[in-house]
Amino acid sequence: MHAHGKKQEKKNDQLPKILLIGNPNVGKSVIFGYLTGRYVTVSNYPGTTVEVSRGKALVNGKSYSILDTPGVNSLLPMSEDEEVTRNILLTEKQERVVQVADAKNLKRSLLISLQLAEMGLPFLIALNLYDEVTSRGIKIDIGKLSSTLGVDVMSTVATRREGLDKVEEGIESLKQSVCNVKYDEEIEKGIREMEPLLPRANISGRSIALMLLAGDETLTGWLHDNVSNENINKIEEIRRKVCTSYRQSLGYVINRRRLAEAERITDDVYSTSKKERSGFSHFLGSMMMHPLWGIPFLLVTLYLLYLFVGDFGAGISVDFLETELFGRFINPWATKLVHTIIPFEILQDLLVGEYGLITMALSYAVAIVFPIVGTFFIAFSILEDSGYLPRLAVMVNKIFRLMGLNGKAVLPMVLGLGCDTMATLTTRILDGKKDRVIVTLLLALGVPCSAQLGVILGMLGGISFSAFVVWAAVILGVLFLVGFLASKVIKGDATDFIYELPPIRIPQAKNIFFKTIARIDWYLREAVPLFILGTFVLFTLDKLNILKVIEAAASPVVVTLLGLPPKAAEAFLIGFLRRDYGAAGLYALQKDGLMDPVQIVVSLVTMTLFIPCIANLFMVIKERGLMVAVWMTAFILPFAIMVGGLLNFILRITGASF
Amino acid sequence: MEKNVEEILEYIWTLKDRDETPHLDRVLKEVQVDNAADYIDGMVKDNLIEVKNEVVYLTEVGDVAGRGVVRRCRLAEWLLSNVFELDQKEWESTACEFEHILSEEATDSICTFLGHPPVCPHGEPIPDGDCCRKFTTEIKPLVLTVTELMPGDRCRVVFMTPKHHDRLDRLSSLGLVPGAEIKLHQKQPTYVIDVGETSIAIDYDIAREIFVKKI
Repeated sequence: MHAHGKKQEKKNDQLPKILLIGNPNVGKSVIFGYLTGRYVTVSNYPGTTVEVSRGKALVNGKSYSILDTPGVNSLLPMSEDEEVTRNILLTEKQERVVQVADAKNLKRSLLISLQLAEMGLPFLIALNLYDEVTSRGIKIDIGKLSSTLGVDVMSTVATRREGLDKVEEGIESLKQSVCNVKYDEEIEKGIREMEPLLPRANISGRSIALMLLAGDETLTGWLHDNVSNENINKIEEIRRKVCTSYRQSLGYVINRRRLAEAERITDDVYSTSKKERSGFSHFLGSMMMHPLWGIPFLLVTLYLLYLFVGDFGAGISVDFLETELFGRFINPWATKLVHTIIPFEILQDLLVGEYGLITMALSYAVAIVFPIVGTFFIAFSILEDSGYLPRLAVMVNKIFRLMGLNGKAVLPMVLGLGCDTMATLTTRILDGKKDRVIVTLLLALGVPCSAQLGVILGMLGGISFSAFVVWAAVILGVLFLVGFLASKVIKGDATDFIYELPPIRIPQAKNIFFKTIARIDWYLREAVPLFILGTFVLFTLDKLNILKVIEAAASPVVVTLLGLPPKAAEAFLIGFLRRDYGAAGLYALQKDGLMDPVQIVVSLVTMTLFIPCIANLFMVIKERGLMVAVWMTAFILPFAIMVGGLLNFILRITGASF
Repeated sequence: MEKNVEEILEYIWTLKDRDETPHLDRVLKEVQVDNAADYIDGMVKDNLIEVKNEVVYLTEVGDVAGRGVVRRCRLAEWLLSNVFELDQKEWESTACEFEHILSEEATDSICTFLGHPPVCPHGEPIPDGDCCRKFTTEIKPLVLTVTELMPGDRCRVVFMTPKHHDRLDRLSSLGLVPGAEIKLHQKQPTYVIDVGETSIAIDYDIAREIFVKKI
């Protein structure tokens, strides 16, 4: 999903750039999509974009490279994604900045405008979400705002493409802002002393001096690359001197001064008819995080999700595709066709045999996993766009506290139900390193991705509801226990839960459609080749008779400890490639009547906790480093088997049957 | 009123409050003022005290003044010890300075801010002021923490006392600063406050550090 050709990027580097900057969840990615014609994920929660997306666009007949940045509340970074954006401003030789602003939160948007003004960058403001302003009875004097700031301001409704043509035109004639915030004399003096010590950069010395005064540690690396040690000491000296004049942190003093200025401007251009926030969506938003009603709301949401993905996706659609389409038509036809045109038996087996690329890889990918993933992506996109997920974070904050996390961690965890690989990347929205490591571990350990979850739901649905309850209870229990223990082992302070809740919005059919398509496209590109590879490996091992050896070697664990049929070793083997593929292997065993209900539950628990798929593992290495990834795998593999063995033991001894 | 005069008034008022008799030689010996005798003479002339049979009595004016000094001193002690958590040595000496400089209005504001405390950190009663009498009719301290509000309450942020600096930075970048108008949306399962058009979810620990005034 994040793959762009390296060559393409190099070529785009030479083009003049347009930078999209703004608070979180204001619609930067929608405008990016409009300008480039490329889809990037758009959702209704802060932090959807964690990596910079680059794209090419033709604006007013000229080619530009467009950069979509993670949202920021201040250009003084307080999280990793905010740092990404500030670094771009600092180091990229950008020519043009478009600030995307939330019109109903003008004051906070201006906080960023004022910082852009300080940096001396020419920019314009797209005053987005303008429809939400009008519906709340707020009026904004755009002309006055524009003349106060000295830059162009356009009202836009990006999701409906209103006003975006004006923004495009405006990109040609950007101006530097005339606004200049004056700080207390102590701070101004500090700035004056610091400025000559700083190297020439993309942004003004004044703005860098202010960041340094505010004690921005993320600048340390840049500073050491560009400033002599002697001067760094001088800078530190100046900062300390200014600090002594204030009781509060300088960052806060500076922020307050900027906010005061932003408030002055806002008061000047805003007029509101003081309409109380009300209406259905506000009511719905309150219900979602109500201490009492929030719980039935969650249960109903889960039930609907189960109906749509479990019943419709994993049940009806899979049945149709697998039994009807593949079982009655494609597989027999393909077998016939292959047998007629290819004379060699080994090639015939490769394509349509027991481990055939068509009969196994394609029918697993298309018939079993695809309908489940497809329905899940649709349901999930609706959840994302409604603004429910951040409210879920409010509901679970206290429980997550027990695992050393805060409610914000629910976002990557729920995203993990879509795809653990993407979710691991999203852990960047978390504030502390400890939080990120714990969530990465829990994702890799026990959060089943949509494909796997669908197969699991389908299998458990075939047994009984109590089988599902046992599986869910074991997985949730293990997640909680491991989270709890990890929070004791891994060092670091608990992080604050300060989280902005987006308004409840009605999901737009068009965005749901594009988002689902984009995700399915990504799924097909990433999963199908691995399915084919996995099948090929199985085929080779089978032909060389190694499969029997592996099954025999794994039998103490698979047969004795877990109490599963020897053939289940195959499922775990391909589970190394993708967990959903492994689950699909178990699904086939169930269909063939090779496992009883207890064996199914045990195998599914083990498979759910089993090591992450290859893509997820690579993402863990990229985000957390090789050491962490190795440690996690070394813990997860034996742990998963241990839990499975324990469960098998308990179920057998109690004589449980489902 | 001169500082030394206030010191003497405070001392006499305290003795009287404890039902002890302020003998002149005891006052002269124990009050920590140089040339106390000269001051006593001046105070008699100014009709703040009377001396009869070697015992000092406060006049009506002197009584009010002495009571005021004691009130300012004990309120300052409460503020410095319980809110700012200074060392005892530090809050005692600083409160001795405060008692001479606080205006009546400032005193009442501190008293209201602290929720009209009845006794000082030593356990001595704090003389009540006008603000406390109002307090008996409308029981409403001026400054509350967000955790003391009820959902739906509107208020203005007066100040914040976060444990970490970066907590303050983060709150301020979301528009939560002193002077901001906020509305408490809910307290359970997690605090949610509305600042303008922004809804922010925060922990109890943070809500406890935000002090507000109802509007």
